[in-house]
Amino acid sequence: MGQVPSTYASGAGIAALLVLLAEFAMLRAPSLRSQVRLYMSQSLVVVVLAAVTAAVRGLDDLYVLAGLSLLLKVVLVPALLVHLLREAGSDLSGSPALKVASMVLVAIAASAFGFFTVGPLGFRSPVLPSSAFAVAAAVVMVAFVLIILRSDVVSQAVGFFSVENGVSLASMVVAAGLPIVVELTLLFDLLVAVVAFGLIMRAHHALRGTLYTWELDRLRG
Amino acid sequence: MSQPVIAPAGVQALQVLTVLGSAPLVSGITSHLEARLQGRRGPRVLQPYYDLAKLFRKETVVPEGSSWAFLAGPVVGFACYLVVPLLIPVLTTYGLPLGYMGDILGGGMVLALGGFAMALAASDSGAPYAQLGASRATTFAALAEPTVLFVVFIVAMITGTDLPYALAATVRSSSELARPSHVLVAVAFFLVVLAETGRIPVEAHSGTLELGMIEEARALEHSGAPLALAKWGSAVKQLVLYTVLINVFVAPWGLASSGKVAGIVVAVVSLVGKVTLLGAVFALVDNSFSKLRLFKVTEYLAGAFLLACLGVLVFYTGGG
Repeated sequence: MGQVPSTYASGAGIAALLVLLAEFAMLRAPSLRSQVRLYMSQSLVVVVLAAVTAAVRGLDDLYVLAGLSLLLKVVLVPALLVHLLREAGSDLSGSPALKVASMVLVAIAASAFGFFTVGPLGFRSPVLPSSAFAVAAAVVMVAFVLIILRSDVVSQAVGFFSVENGVSLASMVVAAGLPIVVELTLLFDLLVAVVAFGLIMRAHHALRGTLYTWELDRLRG
Repeated sequence: MSQPVIAPAGVQALQVLTVLGSAPLVSGITSHLEARLQGRRGPRVLQPYYDLAKLFRKETVVPEGSSWAFLAGPVVGFACYLVVPLLIPVLTTYGLPLGYMGDILGGGMVLALGGFAMALAASDSGAPYAQLGASRATTFAALAEPTVLFVVFIVAMITGTDLPYALAATVRSSSELARPSHVLVAVAFFLVVLAETGRIPVEAHSGTLELGMIEEARALEHSGAPLALAKWGSAVKQLVLYTVLINVFVAPWGLASSGKVAGIVVAVVSLVGKVTLLGAVFALVDNSFSKLRLFKVTEYLAGAFLLACLGVLVFYTGGG
């Protein structure tokens, strides 16, 4: 019989699971705007988790991280993506390589891989429950599935950004006590990725007149 | 002055009678609430009882070429649905004499047997819509099965047994309700109940369009007393699933801890109250979502399976 976790640990565990469920929801979201909205809410859950952890564990650095993440991941990045979508004038996501139910099954397998690769590490964190670390690994795996199976640049970009959400969740478990500079490096990475993906999306749209990537699978002489 | 006490066998019989008697009431209240939410006056709360009484008085018509299975199906199904209240905590916190006859899997098997009997009767009628309903109901029940199995896994891992009484006791005694894996399986089970009771988003249970029907279509060819039994049976099945969801997973409070009459009366009243509340939630869901296309039902069931799977994974990796 497993030990019943404390209320804080349960709450944190459920928040981590919400991040993972948002990732699964992105997998089945039919429109690009809803995908961006899901990314926004996923980031918001990460921000709230950081803020609550900061308050409960007395880690002031996490407040800074939460504030910066809120600004960047909940406001700026989604706004930028919505702006790009408006310019492109298209909203339906590219038809995925698999049907939704099969995609969910593949993602379940991927997340199970994430869970079981991290589980045996026997990781114990003083700040968050260890399951949050496994959930973070699963988030990263499902985000990879999203990037691989979706055939439009926006989904792929959102998938990449949500990898960062998974990583920042993991970093909260592993390195919540580390100096703020580590967290800032992660966020800076995201910033670079946003610029790069923004450029790629615009260039792709300008060259092909579409956001979908299936036109790229032909060789050209 | 000591209070009168009911013998365990009596309490057990009372569990079945409570479910049998209040199932149409719960259906009636739910459809009344649903109508009110849609701005209609809706049927009387007691309408299902009148319907049943009317159907029992009507003659029974049997399609040409059908065999005994056509008439036996609703009876066997009804009997199966009535066996399950013996196994689950309907009124008491403690297991009754026959309560350990089967575990959750046993209960699930008896429910599935009832569904099988109904499907057989529908196939035997030779009518296309009834057969269509039977084949769809069986397909979706099979797709919902993995979710139920994973839910049972979690129950087994948390309590070390797969008895519904044990999980209910665990939920009552600790902060189990906030445990992430428990939340996940409870939601997964909720989704399965939604699908199994033929409600939106899986099936529009009050519709009359045969092509969209799943479970409803099975009894299209039945009439008279067998139809009454089929309708009553599906109401009983609905109440049984509601009871499992409430008294095992979500809110196992208000149950009697002994055979004292006062406790049993409180348990009956609280059961009807809780189930009505759940019915209200279901009516709300009914009015907030649209019916899924038939081919999207697999996506819905994949979602339920996802939650159950994550529940198992989280439990395994030590997240409780």
